[in-house]
Amino acid sequence: MKLFYDLPAADQAAYDARAVDEKLMYCVPFNMYEDRFVKGFTVVTDKHIYCILDGEIVTEVDLSRCTVFSTEVLYGNCAFYGVIDGITTLICRFQSARNLPRYSVLVNACESLALKLREHQAPGEPVTNDERERFCPKCNRPFIPGTAICPFCRDQKEVYRKLWGLTKGMRLMLLFPLFVSVISLAIQFVLPSIQKVAVNDYIANESIRPVSSLTDPHMRGFIAIFACIICIDLFQRAIGIVHSRIATITGSRSTMLLRTVVYEKIQSLSIASISRRATGDLIGRVLNDTIQVQHFLVNEMPNLFTQIFSFLLASVLLLFLNPLMALFVFIPIPLVIVAFKSINGKFTMLSRTVWKYNNRVNQVTQDIFDGMRIVKAFGNEDKAIKSYLDATDLASKHDEARGVWSNTFFALLTEVMRLGRYFIMFYGNYLLFEGLMDYGELHQFNAYSTILYNPLAYFTTLPNVLANLATSLGKVLEILEEPPEVDDIDLPIDIAIEGDISIRNVTFGYDTYNPVLENISVDIKKGEMIGIVGHSGSGKSTLINLIMRLYDVTEGEILIDDVNIKDISQNALRSQIGIVLQETFLFGGSIRDNIKYAKPYATDEEVIAAAKLANAHDFIVNLPEGYNTIIGEKGYSLSGGERQRVAIARALIHNPRILILDEATAALDTETEKLIQDAINKLTKDRTTFAIAHRLSTLRNADKLIVLDKGRLVEFGTHQELLALKGVYWRLVMAQRQGSGFKKKKAQKAEA
Amino acid sequence: MSTTEKNEAMNKNENTKKQVQAENKKEETKEKAAAALEDEEEDDDEEEVDTDKLFQHRESINMTPENTWFSKSVGGLISAKIINAEGVEEFFERVIIRRSFPITAPNEFLSVREPDTKKNGRGHEIGMIRDLGIFDKDTVDLLNAELEVRYFTPEITHIYSAKEKFGYTYMEAETSAGRIAMVLNSPFYNIRSLEDGRIIINDMDGNCFVIPDPKKLDRHSLKFIEVYI
Repeated sequence: MKLFYDLPAADQAAYDARAVDEKLMYCVPFNMYEDRFVKGFTVVTDKHIYCILDGEIVTEVDLSRCTVFSTEVLYGNCAFYGVIDGITTLICRFQSARNLPRYSVLVNACESLALKLREHQAPGEPVTNDERERFCPKCNRPFIPGTAICPFCRDQKEVYRKLWGLTKGMRLMLLFPLFVSVISLAIQFVLPSIQKVAVNDYIANESIRPVSSLTDPHMRGFIAIFACIICIDLFQRAIGIVHSRIATITGSRSTMLLRTVVYEKIQSLSIASISRRATGDLIGRVLNDTIQVQHFLVNEMPNLFTQIFSFLLASVLLLFLNPLMALFVFIPIPLVIVAFKSINGKFTMLSRTVWKYNNRVNQVTQDIFDGMRIVKAFGNEDKAIKSYLDATDLASKHDEARGVWSNTFFALLTEVMRLGRYFIMFYGNYLLFEGLMDYGELHQFNAYSTILYNPLAYFTTLPNVLANLATSLGKVLEILEEPPEVDDIDLPIDIAIEGDISIRNVTFGYDTYNPVLENISVDIKKGEMIGIVGHSGSGKSTLINLIMRLYDVTEGEILIDDVNIKDISQNALRSQIGIVLQETFLFGGSIRDNIKYAKPYATDEEVIAAAKLANAHDFIVNLPEGYNTIIGEKGYSLSGGERQRVAIARALIHNPRILILDEATAALDTETEKLIQDAINKLTKDRTTFAIAHRLSTLRNADKLIVLDKGRLVEFGTHQELLALKGVYWRLVMAQRQGSGFKKKKAQKAEA
Repeated sequence: MSTTEKNEAMNKNENTKKQVQAENKKEETKEKAAAALEDEEEDDDEEEVDTDKLFQHRESINMTPENTWFSKSVGGLISAKIINAEGVEEFFERVIIRRSFPITAPNEFLSVREPDTKKNGRGHEIGMIRDLGIFDKDTVDLLNAELEVRYFTPEITHIYSAKEKFGYTYMEAETSAGRIAMVLNSPFYNIRSLEDGRIIINDMDGNCFVIPDPKKLDRHSLKFIEVYI
């Protein structure tokens, strides 16, 4: 992320005049001043903050008088505040999407500068930040969301070169549709020539009449030509069938290839780069964007070639047959293009409006069906019916409007495309009457002029097709070219983990400017059960993510059995860690498959053993299909506690040395929790276990507790030690006891 | 009295009040500690602690010219002096004003709040202005100026061009805050027409724009947004 912009000359002059002997640290833009949009710059030096606008310093802040800085997201803009002499002051305002991350860095940077200034320390070097830009540095337009691609500034040639690279492994396959298209095109051109012979030599030839019998040589010749035409026609049809079959096959195979490539790449990416994107976005890239690319390769590309080729060939042939008449055919071309473009543009807009209203109908319907209980409970059936009727009414009205419009204007468009034919009709018939042209030639000419017009319609839609391709291709390529962030070292070690873990001075933040964990150090012996406690957002789950190495630490190191986890192969590390999350995710399939997920070759004995450990065996056996019961969206639905126990069995099947329970029992009622708690007590023996829990009673068996507060480790020790400290942990315990006490009291009152 | 003097006076007032509050809190904590200790000793026994004190909230007042006085703070923001629910005068160096219904009722139900801070988290509501109109003109102007900054929604007066490319709409427009180039992501969702005919546009930069009456827009401009409304 850019934190040092170059000042324009006028602003630079203003800065130079005011700031003498100051060290320039940061320079970022601000976008609003009073009631207008501006292009100003906020300059931070080691002593001051200057807001410079159009060569004038509009705000000046003395850093030595400041303590705290902050940003606030307003509506339509954001504000940057500083507390000067204890009074909050507005420094500048800026656009949220563009500059909020920049100012978030500035907040911390300015606070540390102010502190150093007060303590008479050297300001140090400006901090840098490797957060990604979301806007193109060249043209200032936003990148395609979730990517670093500017559709305007991207090198188009590069894109197509990469497209070529992407076709590796399917190039031969892609030649087939192209080849077949060329053949069918050739036939298209041969046919009118034969028809010309048929017309000239037989149909329009008066001299050969009357024909008395089928054995007449003329009749034979005519039959031969006729047969020829029929054969070619049939051949063309056959080629057409072959073409669609091949296109379908190459289409589905190349889609599969592309999807596999993208999907495999996504699997190899780190959690960090995956969680930066929405799941929907990734699914979209695997499913839709690859289809778009495939569609272009298999359908559009051969189409493009044949259309260009047939347009050129038809033009040449027309010019060759009769140059003057060819000109008549060419005259309406610009008109056809303009007409098609405007009509098509309007039609697209109308279709999208219809799409929007249909979408609304879907939404209303879904809302009402999903909320049927609420609708009934509030007695709002009439309102539900009305909102549905309103939506369908609008949708059908717009659909009608589109239908009426398109049926009128597309008919007119066809008429415009026929203009050339009218010219041919007039001029051709004139030539015919004068004897300068024969019937056959006229027919041939007519046929070629039809061929000439077809590609025109296609060419007008071409920019759209290419733009769609470029966007989809860009998204696919970006995934493929992203380097994995958490990568194994060259020679990773496969160790059998014992379970000693030491965390040394670990600092980490998902965004570098916003550390979630700061300077955490703790030593854990093998076999200990460690509870991690803290308010939500204090970094509990983050700590777990770091131990599993879903992310790499920013500073410090994590050692397992005295080996840095960066040196352990990710495979070895994760295969020896078992995890149970609050949001239990089970895959579609049988319970047996789900338990075996982490160890595909586990025997049925092992499956049962794991299920017994997890207190799951009894309820599974009582299901009608036992371990073979299918669960998931279309299968048997398990209760929350049952799912949780299956998840625990899954985590236990490969006998992990390190077990992680992230709020594993939070969503369950007390009775189920008891069952699971028993299971947990059994399985934490001899394993290093981390348990995160809001309900502190869950952690009563923990050997030691880590208490996190705002990203810092504030307390570490046994339950008794921490209670004696009367610190953060003690307050948490008290708050929960009072909470439950309060509830009980209420219940007592209610009973009374 | 000048504003600064006033502020100082109020500051003092506030400080004393804070001290009182702090002392109260200290006492509370002592009580709690004692209660908790007892609890530790007797363990599972019930205890008498008022849970409400754990989640202290200030009582929001109905702000009228009789109990609330707004002024411009030294830092150019809004300060407020109020008589709180207990009848005690309080001074806030900085208050934040939020609209409850920014679109349908911009001048009613204004929530006057303490600012959110990193240290104390979300600020509490100090009071609510039922209708801005009951205050005198100076106050209304002061608050409106602040609200205009907080809800920065320039008016679009003319649209030069709108192009759809790569799935985004790139629009050039003249607004009451100057000429701007905006990029819209899925314009069908980000150009909203309201029941009263207004059009609200949100662009990818986080800007918000309004067209108060699209019928008054010139033909050329209207053409570009017609399809979305």
